[in-house]
Amino acid sequence: MSQPIIQTQELTKHYKEIKALDHLNLTVFEGEIFGFLGPNGAGKTTTLLTLMGLTVPTSGTATVGGYDIVKDSKKVRQIAGMLPEGAGFYEDLTARQNLNYICQLNDIPKLEREKTIKELLDAVGLGERVDMKVEKFSRGMKQRLGIAQVLIKNPKIAFFDEPTIALDPQGVKEIREMLIRLNKEKDLTVFLSSHLLYEVQQTCQRVGIIRAGKLIAADTIENLSERIGGKDKIVVELELSKVDADLIREIKGINGVLSVDQENNKINVHMESDKSKEVSETIMKHGATILLMRPKERSLEEIFMEYYKEGA
Amino acid sequence: MAGAMTVFRKELSDDLGSRRYLVLFGLILILSTLSAYQGAQYIRSNTGASFLAIFYGSEYGFSFTTLMVFFGPIIGLSLGFDAINKERTSGSLSVLLCQPIYRDSVINGKFIAATTALSLLVASTIGIMSGVAVSVLGFGPGLAEVSKIVVFALLTAVYLAFWLGLGILFSTVTKKISTSILMTVATWLFFSIVITIVAALLANYIVPIAMPTGPSGGGGGEGLFNTPEFRALMQRRNTIQTDIQMISPAYLYNQAGSAILGITGGGGGFGGGGFTRLGGGANPFQAAGGGDLGKALAIVWPQITALVVGMVICFAASYMLFLRLEIRPEG
Repeated sequence: MSQPIIQTQELTKHYKEIKALDHLNLTVFEGEIFGFLGPNGAGKTTTLLTLMGLTVPTSGTATVGGYDIVKDSKKVRQIAGMLPEGAGFYEDLTARQNLNYICQLNDIPKLEREKTIKELLDAVGLGERVDMKVEKFSRGMKQRLGIAQVLIKNPKIAFFDEPTIALDPQGVKEIREMLIRLNKEKDLTVFLSSHLLYEVQQTCQRVGIIRAGKLIAADTIENLSERIGGKDKIVVELELSKVDADLIREIKGINGVLSVDQENNKINVHMESDKSKEVSETIMKHGATILLMRPKERSLEEIFMEYYKEGA
Repeated sequence: MAGAMTVFRKELSDDLGSRRYLVLFGLILILSTLSAYQGAQYIRSNTGASFLAIFYGSEYGFSFTTLMVFFGPIIGLSLGFDAINKERTSGSLSVLLCQPIYRDSVINGKFIAATTALSLLVASTIGIMSGVAVSVLGFGPGLAEVSKIVVFALLTAVYLAFWLGLGILFSTVTKKISTSILMTVATWLFFSIVITIVAALLANYIVPIAMPTGPSGGGGGEGLFNTPEFRALMQRRNTIQTDIQMISPAYLYNQAGSAILGITGGGGGFGGGGFTRLGGGANPFQAAGGGDLGKALAIVWPQITALVVGMVICFAASYMLFLRLEIRPEG
């Protein structure tokens, strides 16, 4: 495992009456895409704002890239970029002017600015809109400009807060692919906060689940799945031409099959050990045809719901 | 500091190019040029009038000082009232604060940029006015007068910066631009109209005028109005009104400006008072050639200090509030 790049210890943040973060302990490793999952109001955004030094923790400490987020918050912002939720730009300026301002704030030398801006806008697919005013941009375009803004400082870590919210499916896909590409090509550590499970499953190598300001789980999706589904060793999903009660009874009778659940012509067979061969023979003997048969992986949604149930 | 400079440059170019600045600048420039022309006419018809009369001598009811008394709050407030909350609403503030700068760079840069824009407005307006007056009159100000003009310009810039600071404070305490616009308008109305009414009402309450009961003949009335008691009564009422209006920065500015330019006789009120006393070329008792600048400054030092302190307080309050501003998930 590579080096930790973000570490929080007992990080706590109170907003007057609300505990937004409650002794959060979180570690993110260099070079990974970390998915930060939780429903609205769980503390995802607060975590990001605190790590970037936009808000000060009530107690606890954290480091980003080795820098203390309170004492060295400016240095944190030198090596980490963030696309905040609802990020905005100066509407009456063009994309180039907006990025030029960000370049200046990041002390990018004047001679490099033009080149940096051009490259980044090309990379996020806004190469043709360099001199268009931001007020004419669609949401998706603004979001891509937001990603370009994050990359100007050539960061080691990039935080994205709900980057695909309110985007159309095409936009969602583009942003997702862009994040994966940046992670691979630039070795960028990506910290993706989202409540969209599918997006996180598609993008992230490791996932943290936050609830009421506490981290309740952090691991790879496979490990999380295994831990939850410990009692079911193997699940096979089947789609058959016809399903009746006799067939189900017969499958249940096979030695090693724990249970079967049915939904129309689809069944899930839970087994202690791999009995796929016996199951398929039984089905064929019964005169039904197998339309589909595959091992079933738990979706992140199931995992997520499971963890939430557990914690509650 | 590098961050503040960057914010300053960006904000200055925004301010100078913004429609509201250009509209106000244009308006002030047209009216000021006209008032300079009037002032020049006044100087022509009053031998011995100082060159400085271009700032207060007027025949049609307005002069540069009355313009500033009246429009100053709007100019200053309009450059500040959405400085912070507009960026909060649009989401550009959080992007800005994600950059490697200290947070105070943002508010410092904004304040200095807008102050610079206001100073440019004052300097160029006064410069153009002087140019117009010189070409009409055929003579220019002497050295003493130039120094008075410079001090007067500085005073005007501080006065506008006070309103700017108040505007930025409004934009820091409110989340919505509509709220800070309302606060701006309310402030303007309060200091331009309400305060004179309140002052008059209070004066009347504290020192009521005993009107003769029953129908009184004109002669009787006049007799009453001419008694020394009555004059003393009016004097007291005036003092009370003046004291109340002292809380108005416009009033302070008017007094300080009048003294610097050499108009004696104390300040007029904000709106009406300003117009009648300073305007209407009738009788601006300017000490011909102008009194001594040092003496004038010594007299109105409290007023000038009050303006500067007010400006500093407004800015310091917005600075503190902005640094403590919680960037919350909901914006």
